Formats: sequence, C-alpha cells, structure tokens
Amino acid sequence: MRNTTMSTARLPRALLYAVLTLGAAVMLVPFAWMVLTALKPAAELGKGTWLPERVRWGNFADAFSAAPFDVYFRNSLLMSVSQTLITVVFASAAGYALARTPIRGRGLFFGLTVGMIMVPVYVILIPRFLIVRSIPFFGGNDWLGQGGTGWLDSWWALIVPGALAPLYIFLARQFYVDLPDELADAARIDGLSEIGIWARVMTPLIKPAVITIAVFQFQSSWNDFLWPLLVTRTDEMRPIQLGLAVFSHADIEVQWNYLMAGTALATLPMIALFLVAQRYFVEGMASAGLKG
Amino acid sequence: MTTTDTGPLPATRRPPRSAPAVHSPKAARALTRPQRRAGWLLLAPGLAHMTLFVAVPMLLALGFSFFEYDFLQAPRWVGLDNYRTLLHDDRFHTALWNTTLYTVVIVPVGMALALAIALGLDQKIKARAFFRTAYYLPHMTATVAVAVVWLWLLDPNAGALNNFLALFGVARVNWLGSTTWALPAIMALGIWQGLGTKMVIYLAALQTVPAELKEAARLDGANRWQVFRNVTWPAIASGNLFVLITSVIFSFQVFEQVYVMTRGGPINSTLVLTYDIYLNAFTRLKFGYACAEAVVFLLIIGLVTLAVMRINRGARDA
Repeated sequence: MRNTTMSTARLPRALLYAVLTLGAAVMLVPFAWMVLTALKPAAELGKGTWLPERVRWGNFADAFSAAPFDVYFRNSLLMSVSQTLITVVFASAAGYALARTPIRGRGLFFGLTVGMIMVPVYVILIPRFLIVRSIPFFGGNDWLGQGGTGWLDSWWALIVPGALAPLYIFLARQFYVDLPDELADAARIDGLSEIGIWARVMTPLIKPAVITIAVFQFQSSWNDFLWPLLVTRTDEMRPIQLGLAVFSHADIEVQWNYLMAGTALATLPMIALFLVAQRYFVEGMASAGLKG
Repeated sequence: MTTTDTGPLPATRRPPRSAPAVHSPKAARALTRPQRRAGWLLLAPGLAHMTLFVAVPMLLALGFSFFEYDFLQAPRWVGLDNYRTLLHDDRFHTALWNTTLYTVVIVPVGMALALAIALGLDQKIKARAFFRTAYYLPHMTATVAVAVVWLWLLDPNAGALNNFLALFGVARVNWLGSTTWALPAIMALGIWQGLGTKMVIYLAALQTVPAELKEAARLDGANRWQVFRNVTWPAIASGNLFVLITSVIFSFQVFEQVYVMTRGGPINSTLVLTYDIYLNAFTRLKFGYACAEAVVFLLIIGLVTLAVMRINRGARDA
C-alpha cells in the first residue's frame, strides 16, 4: 500500500539499487573475510589474498585443538539456555504480578523497575562483583560472606546475576496489561488456581511477547563478554566470546585462520536464531522505537 | 514494545476490575486474598533478583565512591576525595574526551546513514528481505566477535583493508597502532555495527507516515526534498528521538571494541570511560575510585539524555 512515486525515472532506481548493494557489500565484507580466512592454510595468511588457493576445511577441526572452543561453546550454550529459561519464567511471573494482581505497592514496584532499566551495567559492575564474591557459604566463604571466593568461577556467577533484567519484567508487564479480565474470571469460576491462571490462561495469550523476550535474552547472553571476563578464571568456565578475546590476545603469535574459524562458529548460532526468529527481532526492535 | 502481537484483542481500555457483589471493602479484600498471595509469590523472584543485582549494587556504587577500597584492606572513608582526584586526573579527562568524540561522531553519522538506507528500503524494491538481513547482521553478532574480525581486517600487513587500498597506491597504514587512526577505526566499527537497529526503527517509523499526505504534497508540486522535509521528517519525530537517545546511551558505553582491538592504546588515544573504569577497578584495584568514576559516568549519561529530550521538546514547540 505504499505509494509509488509517480514519475520515477529509470536512472534513480538503478542508482538506488547500486547504493543499497554497495552498502550491503560493506556490511558483509568483514563476514566474508572471516569465512575465507577460516578456510586458508597458514602459509597463505601473510599473502593478503582474498580467495584461498587451497581450501582447508580442517581449520575448523584444528581450531578446537588450538583452543578449547568446544568447551567455550558448551559453556555459552549452557549459560544462554539457562538464562533464557530463567528470564522467561521469572520475568513473565513478575510482569504478570505487576500488571494484574491486586498487590499493594505495585505502582511503586513498577516505577522502580522502569528506573532500574536506565542503569548502565558499567555502573553496577563493581559492587555486583563484590556481592557475587561475598555470597555466604559458597567458595569457602563463612556466613558473613568473607574468606573465600563466593560464586566466582562457578556456574552460579555465570548464570544468576545476568539471568533476569528489569527490561524483561517491564516488557512482559506491558503485554499482560492489555488482556481482558473476563478470561481470568472465567478460569477462576472453573476453579483454576491463581498461579494456574497465570501459567495456563494468560501467558499463552502473550506468546509472541514471551518469544521476543526469550530471543532478546538469548542474544544478550550469547554475546555477553564483560561479566564472564570478571567472574571466570579458568578455560573450564569461559564462554565463547571470552574465549575469542583471550585467544586473540595470546602471547604466541595469533593463528588467524583458527581464530576466524572460532569466530565463525561463535557467530553461527546468532545467524541461525535470526533466520528463525527474525520476525520477533525486527518487530521487537521496531515497536520499541515507536512507542518509545 | 507495543501489543501488536497479542492478537485480535480490543484496543480499548479494559473495564474496571469486576467488583464482587459485596459492599464491604473488608469482604472484598478477603475475596481477592488468593490473588494477592499469588501476586506476591510471582513477583518475589523477580523483585529479589532486581534488588540484589541492580538496586543494591547501584546504592553500593554510590556508597563506595566515598571510600578508598583496594580489596585487600578494609574500606577507608575519604569523603569527596575520589571526586576531587577525578577532576585533576588526566587519564579521566582523556577518557571523557575520547568517549565524547566517539559519541559526537558516530551518532549523527550513524543516524544519517541509517535513515538514508531506511528511505531506500522503504521504496518498492526487490530483495528487501536480503538487504534488511545484510544490514542487520552485524548487530546480531557479538561485539567481541566482530571486533576480532575487524582486528584482522585492519591488520597492517595482511589485512584486507590495506590490500584493498594498495590497489589504489595508498601506502600501508598501521590503523590500530597509530594515534591518528585508532579512534576513527573504532568509530567506523561502531557505525557499521549500529546501523541495523537504527535502520529497523526508521523503517518502522516510515510505515507510519501517511501516504495520502505525501501524495497531496506531491500534487501540490512539492519536490522530493520538500516532501521529506515537510511530511516525512515531522512524522518520524518520535522514532528519531528514540534512535537519538538510545544511540547516545549505547555510544557512551563503548567497551568491547576497545578491549579487543586496542586496549585503550596507542598512548591512550582510544581510552574510553568504561575501559578506564574497568582498569581502575580490576587492574589497579582502586574500587572506590572506579565507583566514583562510574557515578560520574551515570550522571553524564543522565544529563545528556535529559538535555536531548529538553532540546527536542524545545525544537518541537518552536
């Protein structure tokens, strides 16, 4: 239903395609460079040519012995999946409570949630680190949280602090608010418990919102870097982004073909996720911008 | 986020919560008791998480900013000393300057490019899905991953950029090793990666421009630029404001590019605020000082956001 410009000359149209294509090429060139490098034998790296003279698929396998990319990959997957599950359950629970239950002070809690969205992670980073280090009875800590390392270098630190964000609670609430009351009332008359109404009546109705939240959380978990950098010490616990950064700063000379193979692997899940869920990515971003 | 996805629900406000057929408020409260109990149960985990990992750290950051704390000894109260030191800290000045420069360059450039692309994609063109994906792809990918790729792209000896420029006889540049080029290189990565989200928001905003209005303007003899200036631009104002504010906030938080590509160097030419906070806290172990820096950082972001909104409102009223 877009109006076509009435007298579009041929030349501007061709120009439009040319410019868009050039732009798209600029966006894609680094990815092409990454994949092509990942396929080159080491001897060709210094030449600076684009296409590998000899395609070496083995780089992908060899990258795993140059650095424990399989461990990094597993860690990222575990971290992202658990954070996404936690977010979906607890953000929708809290969002529902803020939107539809008659608890006292929910206006205040909602205001707090909105305020917390604005806080940049860099501001809370240092105390968050100290809190995680001071969790009582973990990592050799006493009941005051002193003496040991708390959650540091454990799955707890990797998963729990980043598993929920005020933003997701806020998003979930916005969707529950618009649901009609009659559905809940009908379910109540049928004898469904309040939790049951949340889980089995109301949440299925906002499925697109839940998927959007899940997709956003998965992306941010998979791409997270700084927090894992602070709380992990060993390769055993490092997620893939951290592994890439460590490998690219190795004391030995960087093996670019292996590093690019690892980077390509780190990129793949996000591309797959985008292709599957692009409706939610794009609509989520777009509607966030329009409602402000 | 809107409710466009929730299906065929009435857009009107829902009727007031159906009151039970009893008139005493006490009895009404008794009836809603299970709902309240469930409400608290559902809210509790989210609230606890937010308190422990956002609200408390926030307050602690403020509190620690008045202490000297190096991790090893107990925190020592120093009042406003950390803030006073910040005023005279050359590294902090450099970081603030670089961060500002980074933001001032990449926000307008990124916004203009994104709007241009969105205007292009808003036409009737083929392969729109392909273009949209291509422009959005860098945003999908972790900043660390793309920074690693750019590190290799900008490699002075075997990197693609220098080889490409060599075709035109341009001498090799050590992009990330030069105080002149390192920050522009990081800016370029920022613009490149941020284009997709901005474009998507502009595309959505362009959908809201009334086609009849554009048509009417053209019938009145307005040229393309006049249509854009008088019809399209005012109609996408809210999208524009959102892009502006989020871009400024994100730009101020540039970190991963710097960590992977330059570590603040050469000679602090790419030192940015977040990286300086990180260094102060976790390599120099000046926790209190880093917290003071973080508080100042938060204040700056808050003030800039307020200023942008104020200026925008002023511009609209004028």
